[in-house]
Amino acid sequence: MDVFYEAATRVDCRPIMEWKNSGRPVVGYTCSYTPAEIFYAAGILPVRLRGIETDGMEVGDTYFGPFICSFPKCILQLAGKGKFSFLDGAIITPGCDGMRRLDECWRKAGEDYEGIVPDYFYYFDVPHKSENHGMDWYLEELRLLVKSIEDHFHVEITDEKLLNAIAVFNKGRRLLRELEDLRSKDDVVVSGTDAFAAAVAGTVMPREEYTRYLEGWLSDLKERKASFSDGKKRIMVVGSVSDEIDLFELIEARKTAVVVAENLCFGIRYEGNEIPETGDPMASLAAHYLGGSVCPRMFGKYKERLQMLKERILRSGADGLIMQNIRFCDLHGAENALFERDLEALGIPCLRVEREYGPHIDAGRMRLRIGAFLERLSVAGKPAGGVQRRTA
Amino acid sequence: MIVAGCDIGSLTAKAVIMENLNILSTAVARAGTRPADSAANVMEKALKRAGLRMNDISHIVGTGYGREQIPFVSSVASEISCHAKGAWHVMPSVRMVIDIGGQDAKATRLDADGNVARYIYNDKCASGTGRFLEVMAEALEIPLEEMGGVGARSTEKLSISNQCVIFAETEVVSLVNEGKETADIINALHHALAKRVSALARSIEVEQDVVMTGGVAKNSGVFGALSQALGIGMKALNGVDPQIVGAMGAALFAAENAGKENP
Repeated sequence: MDVFYEAATRVDCRPIMEWKNSGRPVVGYTCSYTPAEIFYAAGILPVRLRGIETDGMEVGDTYFGPFICSFPKCILQLAGKGKFSFLDGAIITPGCDGMRRLDECWRKAGEDYEGIVPDYFYYFDVPHKSENHGMDWYLEELRLLVKSIEDHFHVEITDEKLLNAIAVFNKGRRLLRELEDLRSKDDVVVSGTDAFAAAVAGTVMPREEYTRYLEGWLSDLKERKASFSDGKKRIMVVGSVSDEIDLFELIEARKTAVVVAENLCFGIRYEGNEIPETGDPMASLAAHYLGGSVCPRMFGKYKERLQMLKERILRSGADGLIMQNIRFCDLHGAENALFERDLEALGIPCLRVEREYGPHIDAGRMRLRIGAFLERLSVAGKPAGGVQRRTA
Repeated sequence: MIVAGCDIGSLTAKAVIMENLNILSTAVARAGTRPADSAANVMEKALKRAGLRMNDISHIVGTGYGREQIPFVSSVASEISCHAKGAWHVMPSVRMVIDIGGQDAKATRLDADGNVARYIYNDKCASGTGRFLEVMAEALEIPLEEMGGVGARSTEKLSISNQCVIFAETEVVSLVNEGKETADIINALHHALAKRVSALARSIEVEQDVVMTGGVAKNSGVFGALSQALGIGMKALNGVDPQIVGAMGAALFAAENAGKENP
């Protein structure tokens, strides 16, 4: 678990630096719509860019301005402070408009802060619809990305390498699905904080090393008898991008709640879906990454997302949902309001909170709101929606 | 059995001592920088008024921002639950509690059994709160507690449009410089605050009866403006200082806890 915590809470964690020190390239990316398999197939370590460990916002504020999500601002802040100096490349994706602007702001900041823009700096476009030409467009973007990586890093990304990468990543997906199943049981043997740290670690660690640790940890968990869920309320966390372990610690600190699932950009969201390990790998990657529609960035898919959320609530036996959105996050702010309307109507208690991204920011305010929500749940004292949940 | 509730807010500390669900004494004091000291100070006041000592109290529940730092409480509860509990105790017909405290505003909806059904805090900024009025009272150089009365004498309708406390203060200074009457400016401030809080309450659907708790509820100007903004007549919690409703709710929780331990 220490390996996962270190990877989840430090930007320049040991696994990344070991990879880097062995002379192999590291490329950062910003969005879950970027297929990490492509980098693995190229012998590159793909690392999700994060904003943890920021201790100021002067760089972020200068280029982004005050009225925008603090997540991309924290990434730029770290870049400006040289914390991403280990990167050989960065892929910026229009996950949302704030993340799209990271491309422009990072480049502009690079004019003032020498050496903060990696040699390989690539804007990877992702359409907001998967239907019809959306999928063709995305596939074309994937091909352009592959070509660009091949040219810059002097590598060849073959179908065979891609299929192998898919198989390696699928193994991790299966293991995370097992972790989800463990968390869905009546007696939960793992804290939400530990599970989330393990999921976040997977976005930065070399995949084989990660799956090896995950496999070992899971077999330990399966032997565990002690329950984390006795007398506690089961919580699911949803909403804006979050890789903050502190948020989960804050929810579980009162010993009256255990986080049994999350629907976050980091974390275990749709890991059960494996990618075909045969056939055309590019088409399979495109179908998996763009076809999922799990993020509110995808237009016209609210009903699918609501349905998916309902299924996950049932499966995890969540008593209530904590819906957070980072200030100025229009996508999740609007979606959380809709989720709250539709889920409360089904008798599923929801807490909707707006907050800043970043370690310890708003901790006191968040504690008050979450505390009141857990009290509301303990009065309610009934399973989610009063519905009989399916056993995992 | 004697119980107490201690509510350590961002600006004031409140204590309520109860026996058999009746209030024995209450106290309100300015909160200092140390929640533990503020709590000790306000409890001492309440104990003195009731002619009691700390040992006479069987259970104390803490609430408010500083609740985790109060050393002498048996347990803690959120101010959402406490204000709902207190208001429900006084008026069982209540379905919504609007609590405007020092640095936050909350609207809580209760179900028919008095349980918290929904609630919402001010998340974006603190301009619809007690501190907003404090800053403005300072800018206008009149005592905070006189704002309600002065505002009632307003004859001209003015508007304060800024969301931000600091910029709103700039607006107030501009109006003063334009020679506008203090009563009219205060009335405009009450309506500005009421608009913000009513938007908050509406987002979780307003249901009658609505009562107002927290220190700001003592300001008749805000009470009236909020009723107007919500389009309904809010009710007053008769015979109870709205500022101590949270502490009273905490004391009621203390009584429940004591009852569970000594049935």
